[in-house]
Amino acid sequence: MGILTLSKLAIAYGGETVIHGFNLEVAEGELVSLLGPSGAGKTTILKTVAGLLAPACGDIRIDGRSVLGLPPEKRNAVMVFQKPLLFPFMNVAQNIGFGLRMQGAARTETRNRIRDILELTRLTGLEGRKVHEISGGQQQRVALARALVLKPAILLLDEPLSNLDANLRQQMRELIQDIQAETRVTTLLVTHDQSEALTISHRIGLLLGGRLRQVGTPQDLFHRPIDREVAEFFGGCNFITGRIRGGAFGCELGSFPAPDVKANGQPLTATIRPEDILVGIDSDYPIPGRVRKASFEGAAIRLWVDCGDVPLVVLTPHSGLTPGQPVRLRLPAEKIRIFPPSSLPNPPRKGEGDPD
Amino acid sequence: MKRLLFGSAVAGAVLLPFVPLGLWAFSLRWYYPDLLPEQWGLRAWAYVFGTAGTQLTEALVQSVMVAAVTAILSVAGGVPAGRALGLYHFRGKDLLSMVLMLPILVPPLCVAMGLHLWLLRMGLAATFGGVVLIHLTACLPYAVFVMWGVFSNYNLEFEDQARSLGASSIKVVFQVMIPLTFPGIVVAALFSFLLSWSQYLSTLIIGGGKIITLPILLFALMGSGDRPVAAAVSIVFVIPALAALAVSARYLGSRRMLGVW
Repeated sequence: MGILTLSKLAIAYGGETVIHGFNLEVAEGELVSLLGPSGAGKTTILKTVAGLLAPACGDIRIDGRSVLGLPPEKRNAVMVFQKPLLFPFMNVAQNIGFGLRMQGAARTETRNRIRDILELTRLTGLEGRKVHEISGGQQQRVALARALVLKPAILLLDEPLSNLDANLRQQMRELIQDIQAETRVTTLLVTHDQSEALTISHRIGLLLGGRLRQVGTPQDLFHRPIDREVAEFFGGCNFITGRIRGGAFGCELGSFPAPDVKANGQPLTATIRPEDILVGIDSDYPIPGRVRKASFEGAAIRLWVDCGDVPLVVLTPHSGLTPGQPVRLRLPAEKIRIFPPSSLPNPPRKGEGDPD
Repeated sequence: MKRLLFGSAVAGAVLLPFVPLGLWAFSLRWYYPDLLPEQWGLRAWAYVFGTAGTQLTEALVQSVMVAAVTAILSVAGGVPAGRALGLYHFRGKDLLSMVLMLPILVPPLCVAMGLHLWLLRMGLAATFGGVVLIHLTACLPYAVFVMWGVFSNYNLEFEDQARSLGASSIKVVFQVMIPLTFPGIVVAALFSFLLSWSQYLSTLIIGGGKIITLPILLFALMGSGDRPVAAAVSIVFVIPALAALAVSARYLGSRRMLGVW
């Protein structure tokens, strides 16, 4: 079992409320990422679920039972910190067995479970090593094994990849996915890295300004952001204002069919991802523009194009475009995302300071 | 080569002062300006282990008892106090650190004289407990300062991690905090033990001749002007201290203190 329900959670830290009205349900066997910029209060939420901090109000339920009254050691929600935090006075196997020893598990059972988890986390053979004799990636895996061996209802991972270099990060990411798929442990993971969240999670919760802004599958958040800030977090940078008239979105760049949007007359904002804009030369590409700046980014070229008064950023594999050159663009209508009316104009949110 | 040179320099600096002590202890007659004793002999040792044997053994036991109890109490007070000072900010912290510094700054004679009156009133003068208390005025601040330093570099996340892994708050203290700070605890205990071990004046004043520790006996023998005997007693005096140092040596400057974080 392992269903985590957070309802109307508010968390104050140092006299300031950093998390407001936080609702999230993590289903059994699901891996949900909390994504947000550093200082958004993501770790604070994990610590609150783990029982290391008390919420100002709201409720935390595991398998339907409120755990607010339980101390951390009785919650069955085990947190793995950003740093491995291995006990230096114990070897690898003793570190992994720490939680079992605290529970007073039988010796043979402890030994068997440690052996199984060593295999699962690919640490077999290292059990007798001292913790400072193994590499950073191995230390991180020991920290993960130390939590997994307890078979917790909820696994809480705080930036498990941030201390690793790029190569190890990829391996560890796959390891976490494999282990999560195999053990089906309900996992709440915290990260500031959008690509990490997009690849690893079943669902993502985006945390901005102390509020959960959007929850959904990685595809939802990436392709169907609910407002401008969510789009900006995922690297969206093209925002066009216009109005719906007769089932089409009309703006300076032309008219784009938008049959699903129910709005009439009021100004709306639309967005399109830089890589979805097509660059060409003939009349299939109706929007004329002029390159203002171009920069090489390896797999693609990033172009800043002025189309009349509307600046657009385009990611294109076409090379050889230089500043000052005229280009023609096409915006595929199906790739244009029009934000629901409520998101414009952006109301200034009062009392919502940056919780840094 | 460099290491060897350094090693011998350190060994020389530590051991050289003991050479005249050893010579004195095994001499019968040694007069200025001779470089070595004129006549060698074991008279001093015969006196130390024979004539004064019982006295010396009793003083040795007394000294070990006083120093051990003082060290244990210093650590018992030093760990929680050091934790509070090292990890938390509270009002009056500066004042407290100054108060802790006072017994080190004020001459021990003043401290002992001043407290003597109180200990007399409390009926603790010339008792084992009284001597331990007066030694604590010197030892406890050192233990607190050592543990303060240890806890300034202490990562509280280890305790959070242990709690989350299923350790109750009591278990966190004994299974996580004490093992993590153990090298520091050993150093604090060693400091306190050695400081108590070498107390003379305060023991003399508060002990009132009832509590005879090794330094009290040593000074008495020194006063008699018998140098070979004083040298032999000095050697007996220094051996337990060196033994305490040797036992704790593996924790001094230990890398075991560094966790993985």
